[in-house]
Amino acid sequence: MSNPLRSARLTAGSLLVLFLAASQPRVAFAADHLEQIRQRGVLLWGADAEGGAPYVFPDPQHLEKLIGFEYDLAEALAAKLGVKAKMVQNQWDQLIPALDRGNFDIILNGLELTSENQQRIAMSQPYFVYAQQIVTRKETDGLTGLADLKRKPVGVLSGSVAERLVKQSAGIDWKSYPGNVESFQDLKVKRIEAVVLDLPIALHYAKPDPALKLSGAAFSPGFYAIGILKQDATLLAALNQAVKDLASDHTLERIDRKYGIWDERQECLKDYRPDTAVEQRRPALTIRDRIGYLPLLLKAAVVTAELSVLAMALAVVAGLAVVLLRLYGLGPVRWLAKAYVEVIRGTPLLIQLFLIYYGLPEIGIRLNAFCAAILGLGLNYAASESENYRAGIQAIPHGQTEAALALGMSRWQTLRHVVLPQAAPVVIPPITNDFIAMFKDTSIVSVITMVELTKEYGTLASSNSDYIVVGLMTAAIYFALSYPASLFANWLEGKLRHDHR
Amino acid sequence: MIIVENLVKSYNSNHVLVGIDHSQQRGEVVVLIGPSGCGKSTFLRCLNQLEIPDSGRITIDGVTINGGHSPRTSDEREQQRQLRMRAGMVFQSFNLFPHLTVLENITEAPIVVKGMPEAEAERRARQLLAKVGLENKADAYPAQLSGGQQQRVAIARALAMDPKVMLFDEPTSALDPELRDEVLRVMRQLAEEGMTMIVVTHEMQFARDMADKVLFFDGGRVAECGPPEQIFSNPKCDRTREFLSRVATK
Repeated sequence: MSNPLRSARLTAGSLLVLFLAASQPRVAFAADHLEQIRQRGVLLWGADAEGGAPYVFPDPQHLEKLIGFEYDLAEALAAKLGVKAKMVQNQWDQLIPALDRGNFDIILNGLELTSENQQRIAMSQPYFVYAQQIVTRKETDGLTGLADLKRKPVGVLSGSVAERLVKQSAGIDWKSYPGNVESFQDLKVKRIEAVVLDLPIALHYAKPDPALKLSGAAFSPGFYAIGILKQDATLLAALNQAVKDLASDHTLERIDRKYGIWDERQECLKDYRPDTAVEQRRPALTIRDRIGYLPLLLKAAVVTAELSVLAMALAVVAGLAVVLLRLYGLGPVRWLAKAYVEVIRGTPLLIQLFLIYYGLPEIGIRLNAFCAAILGLGLNYAASESENYRAGIQAIPHGQTEAALALGMSRWQTLRHVVLPQAAPVVIPPITNDFIAMFKDTSIVSVITMVELTKEYGTLASSNSDYIVVGLMTAAIYFALSYPASLFANWLEGKLRHDHR
Repeated sequence: MIIVENLVKSYNSNHVLVGIDHSQQRGEVVVLIGPSGCGKSTFLRCLNQLEIPDSGRITIDGVTINGGHSPRTSDEREQQRQLRMRAGMVFQSFNLFPHLTVLENITEAPIVVKGMPEAEAERRARQLLAKVGLENKADAYPAQLSGGQQQRVAIARALAMDPKVMLFDEPTSALDPELRDEVLRVMRQLAEEGMTMIVVTHEMQFARDMADKVLFFDGGRVAECGPPEQIFSNPKCDRTREFLSRVATK
């Protein structure tokens, strides 16, 4: 499972989580974790409630209260252990690292029972059988299985089973979204033809939507199970027993029905027996594994570089236009240019990107992600560049303008031949700083489905649990991109500053 | 050649010019003197439209501009440009373009404004540099020159546009005394060649020697006007006498 509507989290990615985690309740390790939970009287369970329906989400009637089938399940499990349940909010794709750090006792949030997850943590008896569902627009026909999706643009959730499936089946033109709401939005405006996602989410979001339909039968079933630290054997045993009890006394069925996600697949949970133990230790990552990251990181770096260069080119040109209108335009134009700068500077880039990518289609302007990213970043930086230009232009003594005018030059000729050439060396350093900042700010565009360097870092680091090495590699690539930019700017500044002052 | 009628300029409640009339023949040299703040610089700056007069009319070499507002139509802008091209301006602080060489400072306006071919602009610039005695500084940048040399380049730059009249706004005030002569020498030479000139200056010797007419400005009006012999030897106005005695004792 993956959570719908995650937004702001991707940029800072896992590092942010590492810092935030420090402020969350910590779980001290005792010899026996279960005993500790009982003494404390509270079971801390990690989940992401941000757009987390129907798993765990704020009750639409009482937004301060959480509901969801996992919320009810957590209450029921805690009751079986004789304690109370308390949810700890954590970004979904960082739940396992946070469990490792001891931010909570268990993960209960649509964690798939896969051998990959089992290499990192212990997993309980499953509590739900999920399957993958294709969702299309109401009028679309014939997209009922993965094979039908070949050469079609298909949306999936970042880090989900569906993402893994579409990546594996050759020929699907997949796009990863931070949340379900965004992918459905793009489906409706025809940027993509289908969304593949976990059935419960499809039931909750797509089924009630008159513009969408569930297309074909659900496929690739799998289990959701509770994630626990490997050393917590007694806790695992207690939870296994509790889940079995809840399955056999129909508590699970009652909860599932309450949220409209019960189906006959769930019957098998009662008789579930774990496969022969998958108790293999994860092999240590080798240098060869890490060299294997490089092609992916470099490919993402190319995207980052393209975005930065094109967006900066737009910003430098648009910023000049803005400052010229602001300084030399007629009354209302002047005011508009000033308002542009203030509004853009005073609102978050993230919101601007959302408006351009998801908002504009509502008024009929549909840009692809790459263009939307360049437009968003470029227009945002244009405000900042126009301020850089303004500082540079206003640093040129007024006598220069007077001398040029007195020689018969027009306003424009004065600007073009006298003022701007002198302002250029003044504005190059701050513009370079912005250019280097741009390399880093491009990371934010992963929210509109662009796979750039930071996004690729997040995916590689979390799926391999290899934060330090992937992080250092990614940082090195960023540096390799920005340092030449800095050298180039120094050279350019020297070349422009030939007035021997 | 130059006719100014009832020129008025004020900044808010500060009346800088309160009705100036002035007329000047081709080849005449007119020197403006007077205490600081008397409006003589503002008068000069109105002549080439660096200041827009509140009212009045300026005619230079047949190009007439009425005061009251900045040019609004392209016709008015063209008038203003024509006026400026006829009036070369030399500033107290030189205002050379620091990013251009001496030669480029001089060729820039003819190329940009008049569309003169580069080769011709350069040939003429070298002639002008020779005239101001700086032919060997063509490739230097302004910051490498002394103040006196910079001001001579500024004069050459203004001359490159073939102005009908040259306006000098205290051209030697920013210079050390030993550098003033080289600039004054160039100005004398210009006057002798018959250039029409208006000079705002405190150099009384220059006024005595070169002026056809001296205007004494006081309180935003022309308090006294006449040939230098009369103004300097036999001023009619008390304010003029007072000013001259102060300047003389300096």
